[in-house]
Amino acid sequence: MVDHYDLVGHRFPAGTYTLPEYVCWLWSDAAQLPPAYEAHPGLAHLIASNGLGVSVKEILELMGATTDDGVMFGEFGVEYHGTLRAGATYECDAEVTDVERKRGRRAGVFDKLSFEVTIREQGCDAPVAVCRNAWIFPRGDGDA
Amino acid sequence: MTAAREMRVGQRTDPFVIESVDPARIKTVAAILQDPTPIHLDAAATRLLGMGDSISAQGALNMTWFAEAAVRFAGGRERLVSFEVRFLDHVFGGERFECTGTVTAIDPDQGRVRLELLATSGGRPVLGGTAVVRTV
Repeated sequence: MVDHYDLVGHRFPAGTYTLPEYVCWLWSDAAQLPPAYEAHPGLAHLIASNGLGVSVKEILELMGATTDDGVMFGEFGVEYHGTLRAGATYECDAEVTDVERKRGRRAGVFDKLSFEVTIREQGCDAPVAVCRNAWIFPRGDGDA
Repeated sequence: MTAAREMRVGQRTDPFVIESVDPARIKTVAAILQDPTPIHLDAAATRLLGMGDSISAQGALNMTWFAEAAVRFAGGRERLVSFEVRFLDHVFGGERFECTGTVTAIDPDQGRVRLELLATSGGRPVLGGTAVVRTV
């Protein structure tokens, strides 16, 4: 079994994402909330995902996995240092913070990839939000 | 919202409820996220995996509801300071989603309140975690 611990400290290419007003509206509507053109705090996830600079498939490849391997969200967290704004352009920096091999009752042996995405409004030094992600990579009968 | 000084540890939040998770809207979220995972699109995929007869909501949608529960308690989106959520199980179309919280810590000087939140869908625990909100 490949140990991916050497990924700790790996920096994603990073990029920018402009949060369209219509996406804010659609997101509220899709979440069955009163539709609004303001950005819901939950959209930090969308900004981080789009500003990461890599696709989901590329993250899976980094961990030696494919879309057929049952990779799941494990945890997600956000610290807000400001308010997300519809129409704003965000710059993201992202880094792998941990890779752990674990064994769970339901998931069996799995690797937990943790990475942090810092979101800044374009042209600003201070972050508006910091997102912490943990993805679960099932490893079948691998060594715990 | 009640000021932090007037709250008490153990106080319960009002439940945040989606009476029936709409499968059509899960598909809208798939389009927004550009997420091609079949269990968010096609009930045949969930049936094939033995997950039931309805599509599964994305984690990003579930955690938006989790955040919304804290936002409603706080009285505004700008009052959400942070949240952390663990994904425990799937949320499926047609299910009743409910998220409730309990005040676990109060900092009256900073005007901040910490909540422990648990969400269920179809009666199963699906999300657990914490949130910190500003009360002023």
